[in-house]
Amino acid sequence: MSALLIEVQDLRRVYTVGGEEVRALDGVSFDIRRGEWVAVVGQSGSGKSTLMNILGCLDTPSGGSYRINGSDVSGLGDDELADLRNKEIGFVFQTFQLLPRSTALANVELPLVYRGLPRWERRQRAEQALDAVGLSNRKHHRPNELSGGQRQRVAVARALVGEPSLLLADEPTGNLDSATGEDIMRLFSELNARGHTIVLVTHEPRLAARCPRAIRLSDGKVVAEGAGRDVASLGAVEARA
Amino acid sequence: MKRRFYRLAAESAESLRIAVSTMASHRLRSALTTLGIVIGVMTVIAIIAIIQGLNQGFEASVANFGTHTLHVQKWPWIMGPDNWWTFRNRKPVGPAEVRAVQRESTLALAVAPQVFSRVEVTRGDREFSGALLDGTNEQYLLTGGGIIRAGRFLLETDVDMSRPSAVLGADVADQLFPGFDPEAIPGRRIHVAGRPFTVVGVLERRGRFLGMALDNNVHVPYSTFQAIFGSKRSISISVLAPPGRIADLEDELTPILRRARQVPPEKEDDFSLNRGEQLLKLYQGLTGALYGVAVGVGLITLIVGGIGIMNIMLVSVHERTREIGVRRAMGARRRTILMQFMLESAVVSAIGGAIGTALGLAVAKVVSLVSPLAAAVTPSAVVLGLGFSAAVGLLFGSWPAWRAANLDPVEALRYE
Repeated sequence: MSALLIEVQDLRRVYTVGGEEVRALDGVSFDIRRGEWVAVVGQSGSGKSTLMNILGCLDTPSGGSYRINGSDVSGLGDDELADLRNKEIGFVFQTFQLLPRSTALANVELPLVYRGLPRWERRQRAEQALDAVGLSNRKHHRPNELSGGQRQRVAVARALVGEPSLLLADEPTGNLDSATGEDIMRLFSELNARGHTIVLVTHEPRLAARCPRAIRLSDGKVVAEGAGRDVASLGAVEARA
Repeated sequence: MKRRFYRLAAESAESLRIAVSTMASHRLRSALTTLGIVIGVMTVIAIIAIIQGLNQGFEASVANFGTHTLHVQKWPWIMGPDNWWTFRNRKPVGPAEVRAVQRESTLALAVAPQVFSRVEVTRGDREFSGALLDGTNEQYLLTGGGIIRAGRFLLETDVDMSRPSAVLGADVADQLFPGFDPEAIPGRRIHVAGRPFTVVGVLERRGRFLGMALDNNVHVPYSTFQAIFGSKRSISISVLAPPGRIADLEDELTPILRRARQVPPEKEDDFSLNRGEQLLKLYQGLTGALYGVAVGVGLITLIVGGIGIMNIMLVSVHERTREIGVRRAMGARRRTILMQFMLESAVVSAIGGAIGTALGLAVAKVVSLVSPLAAAVTPSAVVLGLGFSAAVGLLFGSWPAWRAANLDPVEALRYE
């Protein structure tokens, strides 16, 4: 098994908006090893959302290549992309994206439903995942009966339950107050320490600074890459300038 | 393989659960949505139940009327409006034909001539006007004419000797002998068309056939009838065939009658061979048309209901755009989303269909209780109601489901 989990080579994504070409990603290259915790940081319009969609197999590149866990994503059909998302990616979204009418347990079970696991196994694994994020006493609550931080923990449990190779978090603290946001960051830190590979997409240099490694995007290009603290401070300088 | 099965089962169960919880959380909306389906299915089920009930009743009364009997008559029972004059000009069926059939037919088990007249029957100051006087013979009962309740039917000697003997239908007996024990009626005297007769028997009640009362008859010997009214009237000859051989009997009687009536070979038959089955066919043709109309109306209502379902499913897909995005991100394929929404639509529709079926059967039951129309509940009607409504759900849910399945997951997740 290769140590490289993600290989991105000269990645391009071009949209046509109103007859005009927009290069959301313009030749992005980087690798991510197993067990890394990497922040993708950049201001809005920098291309980080586009990059996240491609890394999450929700979108396909217009050019270049993207390999995750050995499979080349470009040229895959819709069904194969769906299966790849199910197997390799655990999503954590800014707005939690839980199904409102399902209990925490049912929400966490969802990826396993699409994997075709029998009910008892889904139940067992979902309970374990909820335990792992410290919510074993909230299993049968619906999202509207949970606090923001608890909801995000359910979402993290859902992302973890299928044992994906990559945890992909898009502004996971964006809708939380700073104390709760801190909890979630600590949870990510723990998960990383346990060996999970995490990509954190954010516009906040403060969060990027917490990550061992960061990649800064601007205008669809990688403008800085290195230790999280360095890349973040660079951003702070850039912002001041 | 096992995985795929588990996946399908899990996805279906998940879809069902979601469908039910969506319906439960939008009770009013779901109820209004399915109303069209409920009304459509209810209408069709009620009409089908009533028509099937009518058919069963009719078949029973035709069977009662005699399914193995051919009726040789001047007039056909079923005719178009154009050829009335042709039948009018036919010469009457007379005693010569009766004798020819009695002499030449080998298949006939019983031959009963019948001549009719409306008469007044009296006993002292009690009267029964509008009785149907029927001049016939001792074989009449065999050709499908009822059962003796008390006394006896006409005998061969009654006919041979033109006796003034009479057998009364149940209504006539009740009217002339109110409160009498039927056994006490035979032997009493009555007047038929002003002439004295002796009652020899009373028939069991037979009910009605095609709205025609069967219990207002007075049966007298055919010879006695002719002595009173002459022999100009056209006779109806009832001929009983062995079971299952009514067509053979028809083939046998045709040449016998043509010879007896001296029909030249190039001319068409100038008589009619009528049988109950023809009426049954005519009747089934009529109710078949009614069936068609009912099913047509029901289908239109179901289409209207289906459009309602489609509308609400489009709204539902729109409202749940983000849910669809989440499911796609978690690994749901397009087909999975398609199936989820089609199943949801089919379930909503089938629940409407189930309610409609129950209401339709209730309506049919009420109709059969308050009116003489019978209603028959057949399992096929229930299966039809449920099946059709589920099919409507699938059909009209397919477009909204297709739209849901083809949402771009990125757009769907971002949707506010």
